Amino acid sequence: MRGAIAIAKKELRTYFYSPVAYVIIGIFLLVMGIIFAKFVSIYHQANTMQRFGQAQGITLDKLASYLYQNMAFILCFVTPFLTMRLFAEEKRQNTLELLFTAPIRSAELVIGKFLAAYGLMVLMMAVSFIYVLFMILWGNPEPTIIMSTYLGLFLALSCYISLGALISAISSSQAIAAVWTFIVLLLLWLLQSIGQGLTTKWGFIEWGPTLVYLSPLGHFSSFIEGLLNLKDFVYFITFTGFTLFLTHRVVESNRWR
Amino acid sequence: MIEVRELTKRYGDRYAVDGISFSVKRGEILGFLGQNGAGKTTTMKILTCFMSATSGTASVAGFDVFENPLEVKKRIGFLPETPPVYPELLVSEYLSFVAELRGIPSADRAKKIDAAVERCYLGDVRHRLIGNLSKGYRQRVGIAQALIHDPEVLILDEPTVGLDPKQVSEARGLIKNLRTEHTVIYSTHILSEVAATCDRIIIVDKGKIVAQEAIGSLGMTGGSTKTEIVVQKSSDGLTKALQGISGVTNVQSFTNGSNRLVVESDARDELMAELSRTVVNQGAGLIRMSPVQLALEEYYLGLISGRRSEV
Repeated sequence: MRGAIAIAKKELRTYFYSPVAYVIIGIFLLVMGIIFAKFVSIYHQANTMQRFGQAQGITLDKLASYLYQNMAFILCFVTPFLTMRLFAEEKRQNTLELLFTAPIRSAELVIGKFLAAYGLMVLMMAVSFIYVLFMILWGNPEPTIIMSTYLGLFLALSCYISLGALISAISSSQAIAAVWTFIVLLLLWLLQSIGQGLTTKWGFIEWGPTLVYLSPLGHFSSFIEGLLNLKDFVYFITFTGFTLFLTHRVVESNRWR
Repeated sequence: MIEVRELTKRYGDRYAVDGISFSVKRGEILGFLGQNGAGKTTTMKILTCFMSATSGTASVAGFDVFENPLEVKKRIGFLPETPPVYPELLVSEYLSFVAELRGIPSADRAKKIDAAVERCYLGDVRHRLIGNLSKGYRQRVGIAQALIHDPEVLILDEPTVGLDPKQVSEARGLIKNLRTEHTVIYSTHILSEVAATCDRIIIVDKGKIVAQEAIGSLGMTGGSTKTEIVVQKSSDGLTKALQGISGVTNVQSFTNGSNRLVVESDARDELMAELSRTVVNQGAGLIRMSPVQLALEEYYLGLISGRRSEV
């Protein structure tokens, strides 16, 4: 574990030494800010109209769920830029030799890298609590839903990051890692819509529900609605665990070449 | 300290290392010599547990590199061919990261970093970005990284490549100073370097060991020696007279520029005296007479080309 902490510390430090982290966090917050402002104006408009009896009001919780659904999707764009460097950069700089000849296990290396990227993204997400603050000050959101939403976001993030780490370990350059991570994340999201219309059966496997299950979207949606289902936890945790396991195997395979 | 037995690394049907066996004693400096692609780096990577071998065994301080890599890694400091540095970190930050990675307790860290900085003459650049340092300084940061945890064994892959002559001599001095506490394996393709620093050399070619001996005994094999004689005026009579001495096997005469003769003979002191007496008696005017050490270079090229012609 000592090795993992050393790696994570160095990695976090490196994030802030390059402009990438600042730029990406900046863009994320800008986009989220625009969405939040739009959301506030829609909320305000709907409630004004409701007062005059012209339209149905929109509950704060409903709008918050749109906001966070958007956030989870935007994170698909953000994550690749933060995970692309994890292993690809070590390979390019020939520093993998340093890490491999130090008395640490490959597992510690993988966990350290994962924790660093996760830490950075948690920091980034912490800034988004400002929206919660606004909602509490000027509205009346359901606290349990907000909490389960953030729990869902953090779980989804761990999937994204582990996937990014895996692809970075496979790729030889940062750019390739970023592009592939983005493509795969997008495909995972789309599985939901692809699966929904599908009724094909292959043996006893029903393609539709299987694809829907594999997409993180549905699992995340139940957290947004304030539902804590065991199967959603299982999905996120096994996804992350399995992807990190694969990353470990890929990293370890460097020794056999 | 280091035991290597029948180590083999194969890529497809090409052997990078082909059944290498050697051992290194504690406190010894071993030079690992060979052309590019001879298998030096591969052997070192296997010894540092960076790479797996196809077959054979290797152990460091009694620990097998395949069965007990963590224990081996604790005892080894490794400088790869390209120094494994992060350009975005300061020298001090980098060394502190390595110290942490190496498991040096935080209480000792500052002391160890200071010691490594001092040993590698990094004082002036301590608070500079590695990315802004010259190749020579980066190399030294790489060496500092390898010895920060006082390893029993140091493995250096071409540590003096890219250094200027002053830095090369400093690096050699540094490596020589390590002798007392550390066992050093060190690869290079520069011969004079081996002669200057190592106790013993191993020459590898095409993945195989072609020679393995102590530096002192190099070039003395076969018991024959060459003597260079410079005279005022050379003549056929002189050449004949020298050839007449018993024990002399060959005389070559060179007359371009200075009058130079190279005499190949048995290595005996009386013979040297006999040679000088003959030159004087012939009235050739002896200017200089000196033994020609069979240079390491010649020896090395002889070995390699010998193998080439065998193949």
